[in-house]
Amino acid sequence: MIALALKMLRHDGAKFLTMVLAVALAAFLTQNQASFLVAFLGMTGSQIRDVREANLWVMEPDTECFDQAKPLKETAVQTVRGFPGVEWALPFLKVDTTARTESGKLSTITLIGVPEQSRIGEPAMKLGDASGIYQRDSAVIDPGGMALLYPGRKFQPGMKIRVHDEWLELRGVSEASPPFTGFPIVHVSQATAMRLNREETRSTTFVVGRLSAGADAAEVTERIRKATGWKALTRKEFEATSWKFYSDQGVPNLFYITITVGLIVGIAFTGQTFLMFVKENARAFTTLKVLGFTHPQLAAMMAAQSCLVVVLGLSIGTAMVVATTELAKTLPFFRGLYLPWEVTAVCCGIIGVVTVLAAGLSFRQVLQLQPADVFRS
Amino acid sequence: MNAVHCHQIEKSFGTGETQVKVLRGVDFTAERGEMTFLVGPSGCGKTTLISIIAGLLGSDSGKVSLFGESLAELSARDQILFRRRHLGFVFQQYNLLPSLTAAENAAVPLLAAGMNRKAAVKKASDLLGVLGVGHRADAAPRLLSGGQQQRVALARALVHEPRLIICDEPTAALDHKSGESVMELLSSSAVHPDRAVVVVTHDNRVFHFAHRIAHMDDGIITHTETNTASTPSH
Repeated sequence: MIALALKMLRHDGAKFLTMVLAVALAAFLTQNQASFLVAFLGMTGSQIRDVREANLWVMEPDTECFDQAKPLKETAVQTVRGFPGVEWALPFLKVDTTARTESGKLSTITLIGVPEQSRIGEPAMKLGDASGIYQRDSAVIDPGGMALLYPGRKFQPGMKIRVHDEWLELRGVSEASPPFTGFPIVHVSQATAMRLNREETRSTTFVVGRLSAGADAAEVTERIRKATGWKALTRKEFEATSWKFYSDQGVPNLFYITITVGLIVGIAFTGQTFLMFVKENARAFTTLKVLGFTHPQLAAMMAAQSCLVVVLGLSIGTAMVVATTELAKTLPFFRGLYLPWEVTAVCCGIIGVVTVLAAGLSFRQVLQLQPADVFRS
Repeated sequence: MNAVHCHQIEKSFGTGETQVKVLRGVDFTAERGEMTFLVGPSGCGKTTLISIIAGLLGSDSGKVSLFGESLAELSARDQILFRRRHLGFVFQQYNLLPSLTAAENAAVPLLAAGMNRKAAVKKASDLLGVLGVGHRADAAPRLLSGGQQQRVALARALVHEPRLIICDEPTAALDHKSGESVMELLSSSAVHPDRAVVVVTHDNRVFHFAHRIAHMDDGIITHTETNTASTPSH
């Protein structure tokens, strides 16, 4: 019976293809845009996650995300260290400035200072050695920065960038997580960062620290907040705050529009085509009714037909998303892209259920077919 | 017991001034082991009557019983199951499913009854062989001639060994030779001591196959004649 239903569907090749492609398009658009959205918003926490050793971030109360931070006063580190439940605390310096290469190529960059002693926040390296960070007038740059400042060129020792009036020799390429802003991430020693911090008089953008083993994170952060008036967040809370800040800027709206359009187009096309399929096969369905097929049997047949369309469409659409994501990841600025399984599960779930429901609406047509009409020529 | 017994069947379509009374108290019987023709001009109510006999349409009044069982007293689901088990159909336009092979089309009633697909198609293929189209069992309907398609439709009507076969203008879409051939086949394979065959037709060239002919006009059976010279079926 199911085989019979699937043969009926495959026989009408044009409609079958239209429905499968419509579902595939919906699956592609929704998963592609949702995964881009998730990946981009995830990038708002890249530099927070990159300081792997720290799980406590303290900042000025007005700071809403990593990229727009108001520095703390210099004594803040000592203050944070004094709270029970804090194992250690260090200043974290981030400088937004401009760099240019020997050829004159300019870009805004994010300069991150890594403390020489603790090396907290030191990036993993793709090329070269991280120890190069701590050499005088040296820096390491992320792959996005290489692509932006040295387009089409591979890293070579001796490459330099100029920040203010100082030349920094690039000692390697880091594996710093891609930032939301897209600006190059340049790691230097904390001393170098402080020297190049001409925009601000303060040199503690954040205080990063680690909670003692067994300490209650909520209790410690609340204690810091009450006592200092600063914002004290766990790493996860800071990531979530940055995510929310960018979400509230309207960045996701374009993605939401495309996701909605994808869903509507895919489902409308599939539903409409399924309805046409049922109408054009009305004689066949009427004949099946007369020959003794019950409504539950016909419903099962149509469910099988819609499930085949959904499974094929979702498979093709998901394969397209995987292929485009893998292709995009080869570009330095998109290296943070990925397809979370949750996105696939939610998108495919919604499309699958709604498509089967749309097919279910077509079943109403079958219910309304009058068996006696079978004798009409 | 009659295979089909209709008593004072009435049926109207529409309401008020547009109401049309199609059946005006029809009495009709069909016996086991016989082929009964229902003949009459277009619009006289033949198709409505066989629709009611088959349980595809309800009557306004009167009583229909098939092999002693009153369809009206069965639930909607039981009517479908009764039809599936005991009735076979042959249509004017064959009504074969274009996506299925000839054998699969013939196997549809068995599939509806839940038989395993392989066994159903095998049984249908064997029957197609008996009806002379076994060599086309794997062909799609569009690749078959009209006569071959009607043989496949006949196989579909017979494959589940029903007790009543209802044929609606089975030769109307065929040339005389093919029509004659299909009727010969119907007569030889469908007529069975425990089975009745009811044929609606306009085609007076095939009347000699009938055991009995019920003439219908303006919603009533005007007279029934027994055809003593009917073509032998066994």
